[in-house]
Amino acid sequence: MHAVIEQWPRFFSGPNVLFLATALLNTVLLSLASCCIGLALGFVIASTRLTRSWALLPLRLLLIGLTEALRRIPPLVVLFLVFFGFSLFQIDMAPFAVALIALTLIATAFIAEIVRSGFRSIPREQWDAAATMNFSLAQTLRHVVVPQAWKIVVPTVSLFFVMFIKDTALASQIGVLELTFVGKSFIDRGFSPLLSFGTVLLLYFLLSFPLARAGQWLEARLASS
Amino acid sequence: MHYALHYGQVTPYLPYLLGGALVSLWISVLAFAGGLVIGLLGAFGRIYGGPLLSRLIYGYYIFFTNTPQLVQIFFLFYGLADFGLLLTPFEAVWLGLTLNAGAYLIEIQKAGFLSTRLSELEAAETLGMSRWQQLRFVIVPHIARVLYPPLSNQFIIVIMGSSMGAIFGLEELTGRAVNINGQTFRALEVFSLAGVIYLGVTMLATVGLALAGRLLLRIPLRIA
Repeated sequence: MHAVIEQWPRFFSGPNVLFLATALLNTVLLSLASCCIGLALGFVIASTRLTRSWALLPLRLLLIGLTEALRRIPPLVVLFLVFFGFSLFQIDMAPFAVALIALTLIATAFIAEIVRSGFRSIPREQWDAAATMNFSLAQTLRHVVVPQAWKIVVPTVSLFFVMFIKDTALASQIGVLELTFVGKSFIDRGFSPLLSFGTVLLLYFLLSFPLARAGQWLEARLASS
Repeated sequence: MHYALHYGQVTPYLPYLLGGALVSLWISVLAFAGGLVIGLLGAFGRIYGGPLLSRLIYGYYIFFTNTPQLVQIFFLFYGLADFGLLLTPFEAVWLGLTLNAGAYLIEIQKAGFLSTRLSELEAAETLGMSRWQQLRFVIVPHIARVLYPPLSNQFIIVIMGSSMGAIFGLEELTGRAVNINGQTFRALEVFSLAGVIYLGVTMLATVGLALAGRLLLRIPLRIA
């Protein structure tokens, strides 16, 4: 504890604060971007799984397999696979891009399931009614399903996004300059672990907690309307 | 762009990797057990403790569920050394997984305990059951049935979290995959194999727990 008080002024110097701010921004960007792309891709996957044509059956099976696997393999292992995959094929990529791709894959798998359960919340009768009116799948989604399902999907995805901020901490392992990485680098520069990781923990908390509250508010708000 | 997958160089390490899976499972079981105890005490504290105790426990829950598990373990591993408490990687990862799982399990178990309906207890009383009989035949079976599915989910989450042990030099499944990668440089093969083993372990755990729930608690099977 003594070291914390002693190092306090030196720790919160201008460059260090800027370093932390950059890291915080990268953490936000990484989680926001992967969840936004994940929402778009997740929507495509959930829609594809609704198709009934035989020609698309292999694609559907592949998508089911991939989403199931990505939800059951630890994020760290997925990150290593993507990271070493790119380096083995000698594709030069910034660590941020590699982490973004790995995290997007994981987010897509989870969000596809969220969108799918949103689709399933629409009663069978409405699907049947749309089919009776000769709606195509795209029309059914556009005019019947999405206008109702988004109220369930959007708050659940935003709560997932808040959870996912914490998973981006793993990106520090491949050298992405985000909060956890910065916390580790402060230790390497001789700062007290209590001070550096304490600060990092606090920043994560200040980021995650208000967003979690906002997500819960959104969920309650949309559920009642 | 030419890279041929050679699983041949990696297969001799398969027993070593499977041994790592056992380490992963072992630390997950220990952490889940610890988390259950924290969760149980925490849930009782939240329900029966005064406003102060309840607030404190809620603070613990809010803090641990809003910060990354990885940073929590970093904090324990490096931070506790400042207090002269040197943790081995296994201890640090176990403690981190336990404290994190414990936080989630507090609210899960609290919700489970509060799900007992008054009408059920009144029915039990009408049947002339003693306090002990009510507990044995009504309250505990009900709570067990409500709690079982979210608890098994949490166990799977703990298994996935245990892979962070690799970062602290713990030789569990991911850690051993990292070791093999260092020797063979067959990263894709090693990590895809590790991924498949994780898939197998978590699937087996899900199916096994669902079957156990069906047999012991008569919870309807509902996989996927």
